[in-house]
Amino acid sequence: MSTDEEHSKDRRKFIRVATIGASAVCGLFPLVSGVPAVFDPVKKGAGKKSSVPWSRVAPLASLPEDGSPAKFEVIQEKVVDAWTTYKDIPVGAVYLTRTNNEVVAFNLKCPHLGCAIDYRKQTKDYFCPCHNSSFALDGSVTTENSPSPRPMDTMETKVEKGQVWIRFEHFRPNVADKIPLS
Amino acid sequence: MKLIFDWLDDRSGYRNLLHEVLYEKVPGGARWRYVWGSCLTFAFFTQVVTGTLLWMFYSPSTQTAWESVYYLQYQVWGGWFLRGVHHYMAQAMIVLLVLHLMQVVIDGAYRAPRELNFWFGAMMMGVTLALSLTGYLLPWDQKGYWATAVATNLMAEVPWIGTAIQKIVVGGVEYGHHTLTRFFALHAGVLPAMLVGLVFVHIYLFRKHGIHVKEPRPKKDSYFWPDQILKDAIACLAVLFAVVALTVYFNGAPLGPPADPANEFPARPEWYFLFLFQLLKYVPAFWGAVIIPAFLVLWIFLQPFIGASRPGHQLNIGFWWTLIAGSVALTLLAFSEDRSNLRHAAALKEADWQAKRVLSIVQEEGIPPAGAVSLLRKDRENRGRNLFAAQCASCHRYNGHDGRGYPVDDTQSAPELAGFASVEWITKLLDHEHYISDEYFGGTDFKNGTMARKVLSKYTSEEKELLPRIALLLSDMAKLPYQDSLPEKEREELLALFYNDDLVFQDGLACIDCHDIDSEEEGYAPDLTGYGSDEWTVAFIKNPEDERFYGEENDRMPCYGRDSKLTDEEIQILSDWIRASPAN
Repeated sequence: MSTDEEHSKDRRKFIRVATIGASAVCGLFPLVSGVPAVFDPVKKGAGKKSSVPWSRVAPLASLPEDGSPAKFEVIQEKVVDAWTTYKDIPVGAVYLTRTNNEVVAFNLKCPHLGCAIDYRKQTKDYFCPCHNSSFALDGSVTTENSPSPRPMDTMETKVEKGQVWIRFEHFRPNVADKIPLS
Repeated sequence: MKLIFDWLDDRSGYRNLLHEVLYEKVPGGARWRYVWGSCLTFAFFTQVVTGTLLWMFYSPSTQTAWESVYYLQYQVWGGWFLRGVHHYMAQAMIVLLVLHLMQVVIDGAYRAPRELNFWFGAMMMGVTLALSLTGYLLPWDQKGYWATAVATNLMAEVPWIGTAIQKIVVGGVEYGHHTLTRFFALHAGVLPAMLVGLVFVHIYLFRKHGIHVKEPRPKKDSYFWPDQILKDAIACLAVLFAVVALTVYFNGAPLGPPADPANEFPARPEWYFLFLFQLLKYVPAFWGAVIIPAFLVLWIFLQPFIGASRPGHQLNIGFWWTLIAGSVALTLLAFSEDRSNLRHAAALKEADWQAKRVLSIVQEEGIPPAGAVSLLRKDRENRGRNLFAAQCASCHRYNGHDGRGYPVDDTQSAPELAGFASVEWITKLLDHEHYISDEYFGGTDFKNGTMARKVLSKYTSEEKELLPRIALLLSDMAKLPYQDSLPEKEREELLALFYNDDLVFQDGLACIDCHDIDSEEEGYAPDLTGYGSDEWTVAFIKNPEDERFYGEENDRMPCYGRDSKLTDEEIQILSDWIRASPAN
């Protein structure tokens, strides 16, 4: 092969590589320009362990004294949803049970897949109407083949000046350990 | 690997398709002048992809449109960049459209047998302009709101069905939620779908007839791949570079203050529509909205036939050059008129102030469910300057303007109030020349009052040197937020001066002889107890005719509180605002 031919071959190869390269940059650019924005929620959640605020739930006096559960809305003072800042709005609901001055709070959401759990007065237990998980009054799983991998989720509570306060949060569904969502 | 591709080719025949796409013949060889179509396709592709990503963040309603765009711009990782690319690529697309059109016209590629494709191209231009127009409104800021209102009002000019078209597009009579949902559906759904369809037809027709080449051919024929594609890709890279550069340089796309129908803003469209905007200053709206576009459509339809002959072709080229030159001239005229218009400059500055103000409030307290515009409406600082502009600025001035930066047409007939009651302000007040000038009481009866004629004008130069010390005493009572208060000892010394205890004012006359400080009895002249303080200022604005102030000597200052011209809250806001900051 003469050097001229080789030269021309190299040139053609260069043109092909350059063309593919430039086209690839142009083709990928629009998508790449939006990648950070799309992954923003993942970035915002990472490595940030914000403390869970105390929310007021109900007066202690409104809880049944016999220890049977009652359902209450949890009103949070300040809730930021993307661009909107809400004040004093419900962020979820809990079952509260009381023994003397001790209050136990259960998240309304089933640890299985997040359906709302009912309280059954007749059988005095909790029952999830989606996949039939059932829980005892202390929140423990009652049936062996219950779909729920863990007991109902409890949260930290305190009683101050006759008011029940709670650190309301949600947990990762369908795992045996209670891991707060962040 | 080869096996997989063989299998795929066997089922789809993709290799043939690819071969057909890539090995299109380019008669006369690859040329730079052919790149514009590819650049436009690239630009449109970018808009579709970035637009879809923007869709993940945008919420079309009057309480969430600006807010969601704000969130993307300032809170989302890289959100400003995504938005900026979409914004500037839209502008690049307009430039590319013109370049593509001119290349087609100059090369005569619009003539038989390519008439149909020329018309399709013109349709695509129309859809692209409609995309620009609809996109301009979506951030729901002042600029988009006021400019788009003009555009939709033009729709009503169409005979018989104009108002119906307008109602359909706006979603009613007034701008609101439905305007945004409809514009969004048009911008992100209807128009792009139309454009995708048109692009396919356009490219199909282009392939059917091939590249139009002028004879004699400049070089020997070559193929689309790789020669022309390389040129196309390099041009696309240049477009990409320009868009990224603009995005980075301007920190993404601008976002003005949230749309507010009660807050005026001079409507201006994007720069590429400015020539139409300017044209509407000279021709009736009906011409701008109906006759001229109809003429353009007819002309574009006829051009391939007119261009069949050589003189006809020259006429067509001349027509487009004239149109472009006319548009450029009108655009420049629009810019220069705005630039020499002081009110316009003030309006832009004011909008800029509002945009920054709302951002700082949002960062402090977040956006309530009622939306960001509610923050600006109840912001005391914003209300203060607006109240001053509406109620006070026809007589008073603030740094020479109306409190917001707008020039005032009426002549100044009452004191300049920027830095009111500060040491500098009172020092100037006590200087005879300033006192009788328009900056203070030159436009009032007080110009010829006792203070001017019998007191300030009579001071010797030694006495004049004492006046700044009196100013220090008076200003201390104002307790202005930006001034330190005097030490008690100094205050007592200055009070002695006010009382003329040491008879330093030679005629024996003391300030206290007319003006009171901390005493029960009312003097002949305004009581200066707590002069310029919050309490004093509020009371003064409420009723300057009170015995404590001007009494019967009052010259035209309205009694805002006594006569219920303003509420107590408004007077308080006004007093807070006037006392908040020093003069510029």
